[in-house]
Amino acid sequence: MPPNITPKKVLIVDDSKVSRMVIKAHILAAHADWQIQEAASGNEALVMLDADPPDYCTMDINMPGMLGTDAAEIILAKYPALRVVIFSANIQEAVQSRAQQLGALFVAKPVTEKSIAQAIGHFTGAA
Amino acid sequence: MKLLSEIELDALTEVFNVGAGRAALSLSEIVSEEVLLSVPSIEILKAAEVNDRVLTLKDNKFATVSQLFTGPFDAEAVLLFTENYALEIVRDMMGSQMSIEDLAEFEQEAMCELGNIILNACLSAMADMLNISLSSSLPTYAMSSPEEIAARLAEQGNDDSYILVLHVDLVLEKHHTEGHLIFLLSSTSLSKLISHIQQYLNNIL
Repeated sequence: MPPNITPKKVLIVDDSKVSRMVIKAHILAAHADWQIQEAASGNEALVMLDADPPDYCTMDINMPGMLGTDAAEIILAKYPALRVVIFSANIQEAVQSRAQQLGALFVAKPVTEKSIAQAIGHFTGAA
Repeated sequence: MKLLSEIELDALTEVFNVGAGRAALSLSEIVSEEVLLSVPSIEILKAAEVNDRVLTLKDNKFATVSQLFTGPFDAEAVLLFTENYALEIVRDMMGSQMSIEDLAEFEQEAMCELGNIILNACLSAMADMLNISLSSSLPTYAMSSPEEIAARLAEQGNDDSYILVLHVDLVLEKHHTEGHLIFLLSSTSLSKLISHIQQYLNNIL
């Protein structure tokens, strides 16, 4: 990557600290210069997003409070250029198609090196 | 009593979450509707404290399918549906035009098979994440009240032993009903599970 490009900012939204740690570690392994922010709920993510909008966002679905898909819908309506990847253990067809309708990429949990590679591909891929 | 650290509890919840997701997928394919999952709850209790309140079951009678999973640790997995709904699921599963009366004949066998599919979907996802192998007993089916379920589960250990209770609700909106997925581990199994959770954490972090 050319050095003159500003490092990207990623917001990781997941109620599981372990999941956030794994996602963060894998992203930093691939892009050491990226800045990582973390939120434990959809509501927290919305507040953080307005304060300092990231370039990319990973979003869990099943969290206390707002559903991640609902948070993603609000985020994408407000920031259409932001790229969102939905990480979920709930892999039902209805959930996957909701993510696609929102314009987000759906990736099945557990979070692994392979699933993170898919997410990064969505972040950095051509529009 | 703190048996698991915060991070271990978090990892265990996440592993259970993935298992519940696989179970919900199987169930949604059988009943042809989306299954809404609650945020899982995890409690560690003394065996004597397991009562119907802990199980947070509101209805009077449940169709329950139980299976014992054995391996590096043992766990009892129970799938519950409200009594009236069990037959409807059986009808969805058989995909036939049979009357409810005729289906009643198959109820026990069909519910055992349904439990077998859903409980194995959940447990196999958890076993894969923890890199272990679990084998399952044949499913058993019973109609029970929450009190009876709790009493049977509490029998698993003596009064001083601890039981881990993992619980998730599976909501079927179109059918206006919900099912429950409950796992129980005795204290001996709990300590073995903790060591596998620690290995899992070491591998991923």
